[in-house]
Amino acid sequence: MSQNAMNKIQVIVSAIHQVTPLVKQFVLTKADGGNLPTFSGGSHIVVSLNIHGRIHRNPYSLMSSPDALDSYQIGVRRQEQSRGGSVFMHDQVQVGTPLEVSYPVNLFALHRLARKHLLIAGGIGITPFLSQLHDLKRNGSPYELHYAYRAPEHAAFTQHIKTLAGDDAHFYAESRGQTLGLAGLLRAQPLGTHVYVCGPTGMVNAVTDIAQSLGWPPGNIHSEQFLAPPIGSPISLRLAQSELEITVPPEMSILEAMEAAGVDAPYLCRGGACGRCELEVLEHDGELLHYDHFLSDAEKYAGKKIMPCVSRAKCEKLVLNI
Amino acid sequence: MEYGYWIKTKPAYSNLSWVKNATRHIVLAEGAGGLAIIRMYQEQPPAQPVSVHYVVTDQDRHYAQAIIKVMQVGSLHIHTSVDEAIAILGTELSSAYMGLRLYLAGSEHMMWQAAKTAYEHGLSYQEMQLEQAGTLARPVYCVHCKAITPHATTNIAACAGCGKMLFVRDHFSRQLGAYMGFMIDAENPGDLPEIAEVYP
Repeated sequence: MSQNAMNKIQVIVSAIHQVTPLVKQFVLTKADGGNLPTFSGGSHIVVSLNIHGRIHRNPYSLMSSPDALDSYQIGVRRQEQSRGGSVFMHDQVQVGTPLEVSYPVNLFALHRLARKHLLIAGGIGITPFLSQLHDLKRNGSPYELHYAYRAPEHAAFTQHIKTLAGDDAHFYAESRGQTLGLAGLLRAQPLGTHVYVCGPTGMVNAVTDIAQSLGWPPGNIHSEQFLAPPIGSPISLRLAQSELEITVPPEMSILEAMEAAGVDAPYLCRGGACGRCELEVLEHDGELLHYDHFLSDAEKYAGKKIMPCVSRAKCEKLVLNI
Repeated sequence: MEYGYWIKTKPAYSNLSWVKNATRHIVLAEGAGGLAIIRMYQEQPPAQPVSVHYVVTDQDRHYAQAIIKVMQVGSLHIHTSVDEAIAILGTELSSAYMGLRLYLAGSEHMMWQAAKTAYEHGLSYQEMQLEQAGTLARPVYCVHCKAITPHATTNIAACAGCGKMLFVRDHFSRQLGAYMGFMIDAENPGDLPEIAEVYP
C-alpha cells in the first residue's frame, strides 16, 4: 500500500451553503455512514479533486465543532487567480459528489498552557478559528477573536461567530474604515497570552513582526497560512532513486508532477507549512524558488532542501533524492 | 562519570543581557548577583522601563552602593529578604503585559523560587534569564518526605525535613525548583560514601 493511501477517507458532499458571494460551505459525511475521525480545533483536511484527470489536493481547515463528528465542514473561498481547485469546488462539486479526504492534521493547535488566546483572522482565514472556538468555550479559556474582512458582504460566518463568541468577538470591515490596530492590541495583552493569526500574507507577517518587535517570544506566536502552489516555468526534473526524468509543467507543483509520474512521495499539508514533503536537492544549476513557511532562511539559502508541494526552481536541471 | 555526561533537566545558566525588543524589564538579584546588575548597566542602560529588586546579604553589602551609583535609569528597590522581594515581584507581574522580560541573578534556590512565581503569573521560561551567582549550592527535593533543603553544598546532604542522608542528583525539576535527592544509605543504614563539598 502506498504510504499516503492509508490516511484517506471517502466522503459524500451532503450539503452546500453559499455563505458569501465568494465563499461556500461544504458539509461532508462519511460515504459508508457513521462518525468521522476525531480532531482538535485548528485541524485541516486535504481534499483530493480529480480535475480533468489530474489530481489536485487542497488543504482546508475544519470549521465544525470537534464534538460533532457526523460531518466535517469546510469553507472554501473561490480563488479565480489560482490553479482551479477552489473554482472546481464551487462550480463542479454538487450535493452527492463523492470526495476523498485525508485524516485531519493539526498544524495550528491551541497552546494548552496559554492563559489567554488572542485569535486574529483575515478573510477566509477565519475557518480554523471556528473549530477552535468550540474548544475554547468547552475549556473555559479566556480568549478574544478579532476578525477583519474587506466588506460586510464578504464577511463569512459572522452570525455564527456572534452566537458562539458573543462579546469576545470583534469585527472590522475595511470598507467601513474599521481598522484592526495590531500594535495597540498586542501591547495590551496580559502575561501568558498566545497569539494566533490566519489570513493573507500581509496580515500574518504584520502580526508576527509587530508581536516580535513588542517582545513577544516566538513560542507565543502562531500562524497558519496555506499556500497554493504558484504557477512558474517548466522544470526538468530528475529523481535519483526512482531513476525517472520528468518535466514539471508550469501549472503543476513538483509534488503533483512526481505523483502523476507514479512516485509515492511523502506529503501532509500540501501548503508549505508542515515540512513532511521535504526532499534533498542533490544537484541544480540555477535558482531554487522557495515558497514554503517551513525551511529557515539559512536552509533556503543553503539550497540543499526543497518543499516540492509549493516550491519551484528556475534552472535547466534539478535532481532530487527520491 | 564519562566524558560529556549531561542530563537534560539540569539547568544551564548564562550571563544576563538586556533583551533589546522587550517593552519592560524586571531584574531580581540577591547578594553576589548584584554584580550582574552593575555589569548590565555598565554595558548599556536599558532603553525601556525597568525595575530592579536587590536583596542585600551581609557578605555582599558593598554591591548595593555600586548599584545605586550605576543606575541612572529605572527604579531600584532594596530588600532584606528573598521572600519579600518575590512577593513584590508577584504583585508587579500581576498587572504586567506581554513583552516583559525577567532577569534573575543569585543562588539557584532564590532564582527558581522567583521563576516559579513568574511562571504562575504567565511568564514562560523563554521570557526569563537566569545567572547563577555567589554559590553553587543546590536546592534539593527529598523524594521521601517532599521537603526542600534550600542550599545543599555537598554531594550527600541531610534532608531539612526528615534528616535522611540524600544523594543530590543532577535531575532537576523546574516545577519544584529543586534537584532530586534520595536516601543514599537505605539498604545499609549508616553506610555512607565520602561526603565532599562539591557545590561550594
